[in-house]
Amino acid sequence: MSSEVEVRRLGLLASALAGRRLSVTHAEPGTATWTDGLTVYVDRQLNAQQTKQAVVVQAALIGAGSLEPTITASLRRRGDLCARYLAVEGQRALASLEALLPAHALSLLGPSRPPATAAESLDIAMSGVPIAAPPVVFGQIRPRALRIAAVATRNQSAHLPLRAGSTLQEMVDAAEADDGEGADLSSPVGGGGAIGRLLQRLTSAGRARDTGTAGAPAATHVARGAAKSSHRGRAVLATAQPGDRAGLARAAVLTYPEWDCHRSAYRGDWCTVRLREAIPAPHPLPASPSRALHRALGRVMPDLTRMRRQLQGDELDIDATVSERADLAAGVTPNEAVYVDSVRRRRDLAVLILLDVSASAAEPSATGGSVHEHQLAAAASLAMTLHDLGDRVAVDAFRSMGRDNVEVVAVKRFDEPAGNAVLRRIAGLVPGAYTRLGAAIRHGCATLEAEAGTARRLLIVVSDGFAYDHGYEGRYGEADARRALAEARRNGVGCLCLSIGAVTEAAALTRVFGTAAHASIAHLDELPAIAATLFPAALRSADHRRRTWQHSSRSRQRQELDRRTA
Amino acid sequence: MTASARPFYVAVGNEEQVFKAAFRQGLSILLKGPTGCGKTRFVETMAYDLARPLITVACHDDLTTADLVGRHLLQGGDTVWVDGPLTRAVREGAICYLDEVVEARQDTTVVLHPLADHRRQLPIDRLGVTLEAAPGFCLVVSYNPGYQSVLKDLKDSTRQRMVAIELDFPPSEVEEKVVATEAAVAPDLAARLVRLGQAIRRLETAGLREVASTRVLIAAARMTNEGLPLAAAAKAAVAGPLTDDPAITSGLVEMVDAYLGSD
Repeated sequence: MSSEVEVRRLGLLASALAGRRLSVTHAEPGTATWTDGLTVYVDRQLNAQQTKQAVVVQAALIGAGSLEPTITASLRRRGDLCARYLAVEGQRALASLEALLPAHALSLLGPSRPPATAAESLDIAMSGVPIAAPPVVFGQIRPRALRIAAVATRNQSAHLPLRAGSTLQEMVDAAEADDGEGADLSSPVGGGGAIGRLLQRLTSAGRARDTGTAGAPAATHVARGAAKSSHRGRAVLATAQPGDRAGLARAAVLTYPEWDCHRSAYRGDWCTVRLREAIPAPHPLPASPSRALHRALGRVMPDLTRMRRQLQGDELDIDATVSERADLAAGVTPNEAVYVDSVRRRRDLAVLILLDVSASAAEPSATGGSVHEHQLAAAASLAMTLHDLGDRVAVDAFRSMGRDNVEVVAVKRFDEPAGNAVLRRIAGLVPGAYTRLGAAIRHGCATLEAEAGTARRLLIVVSDGFAYDHGYEGRYGEADARRALAEARRNGVGCLCLSIGAVTEAAALTRVFGTAAHASIAHLDELPAIAATLFPAALRSADHRRRTWQHSSRSRQRQELDRRTA
Repeated sequence: MTASARPFYVAVGNEEQVFKAAFRQGLSILLKGPTGCGKTRFVETMAYDLARPLITVACHDDLTTADLVGRHLLQGGDTVWVDGPLTRAVREGAICYLDEVVEARQDTTVVLHPLADHRRQLPIDRLGVTLEAAPGFCLVVSYNPGYQSVLKDLKDSTRQRMVAIELDFPPSEVEEKVVATEAAVAPDLAARLVRLGQAIRRLETAGLREVASTRVLIAAARMTNEGLPLAAAAKAAVAGPLTDDPAITSGLVEMVDAYLGSD
């Protein structure tokens, strides 16, 4: 038998064969190898060689599409059929990935030609043909576990937005079908974690319904939103908490213009941004500064920058030297700054993180958990790390219900420490409503202008996709958001956008932000690598624009002066 | 500059015809493809076939226009103009290959514009002259859209002056031949390395910035010529360079063992 560490190390091999991220761990003692589509659980009884073979078989089943929901639906609660299907389909899966199989797995391939598709294998398994039992390393297929995990992964394979309602139905189904295996519900492995979360959401939706505070203006919008897109109904309802009313009453109100691309003109004071207090959760979001992210962001602004035309330095600036010599020869007083030097620069950076908490974020992500959870974790991680690095950081969450009601929740102010109070407020954010990106960006820039107090300013939007608001659809919304970004960049604010675990609609964000300022990542692990490339680009472009802007304003001033003196 | 024998390059699609057609029509060429898939070798082969000298410039973010075009240097008490590689190529009618062009600053690449379109001119403002490109001059730039799309992108105005050729890792049978020939190893050893490479390339999301290129597979194969066991060679030449992350490294080592471990 292999140790847990040895088994975990097979994750990369499994991911390669499956063609998507797959982890490997030990199964419960006495259980044959199985997978839920996200993790392969390996039989503890197998030796090292068999363990690898077992992982290869399960990964191949995923990679060859053997465990698609259309197939496994027919296998539910039919253990004998599962074994017959596995014996036939396992061969097909291995054969279809033959070019990729490692040497030790080639010996598993049978002599006969396997069927061409998974559906054919299923037909054979369902027919009366005698089929030998699959080898022990083939393990088993667990349709129910696959079905539960498919809730999180179906999005990825089908590129269809998942309906929150059907998620709940799915969960209820699964719970009903769970013949006395109640322990699974709280089990940290398998689908139990997901069920727990879904149950929580179900109960919180129920609570919100019970409070019945339908009188508040927010709730009217909620009702309208629910009628308009019924599949988001439950998630939206879950946001109508009793605290909303008090929050709105206290809110400061600001207005911002919006760009109307149809008329090519601004609509003045078009959007109303309402500032709300955050409602902290009882427990802080479990987050810690990530060392990899710390390293990546620490390098973003190198302490040492090479500067040309310096009075002293390690190397000659050849162009400057030549002109100095030429000046000397011509009898002009030369400029003696002819060196290239490494100059230490201060970071002098303020970052505002704008967190999208619209309802679409409540959808399950491709890598397990909801997009919202991934976004919260990313925002928390970025805020803590940047704070650690000595940058000024603020976090705002935003969502909207029409142009009169763009809500911005101050999660962390610039002067606040990044402690548990902030993490509790982040954990207390509940997704709901829509996204009016332009107003949020304009408000974020105004906040940066007013409160940042640094030369370099950066706006980070964490969003799952370009969701819409009333009267803020398609081209109109994209044009306004692009305009808002152009305004921000003109003022020397670097802008970038991160999508984590999002599977749909992220392409629109790329159109708005540009390929150089938007990155879509599947998992939080990829954040350091992405940050290391996105941040410098955003800061550089902001620096550059600020310089050219200052330059042009200076030359304007000079012209003005010339005109007056003339 | 032209090699005495044709460099070893196996065409996968119609890239050779496209390149030669663009060359004859005086159009500039944009090569896209991942690191180590054979972009540089392809250009070398084309330069050989077309019997043109090849001038290669590796671009970096400190590359200035003067580095490409040329600058005045001091000699005795006088300043002397020295051509940069681009100017030399324009005068001699050579193929000028700018490797990883997006690494260069965008204001640097603007100097390519009048050269890359129908004008085929290089204005040198420090000399006050405009050079007409000699016949046979061809501008070739390459970049890797994979990891750089996030970081940098070519200006649209630059891109639209180019004919694009997309290269990718060759299919396994071609890659086996390439590895076997380049490293002078047995075909079955090459085949096993290529199988490992293909598997690593499926790991799109595993936190690897780059995948195992044909170049690293060749490097691994060459290490075995020195008597190193195949798995050890692959660990050193494939797994090691790809990542510094200990968890991913151990996963890659596990993959190397799975594919190449049995000798």
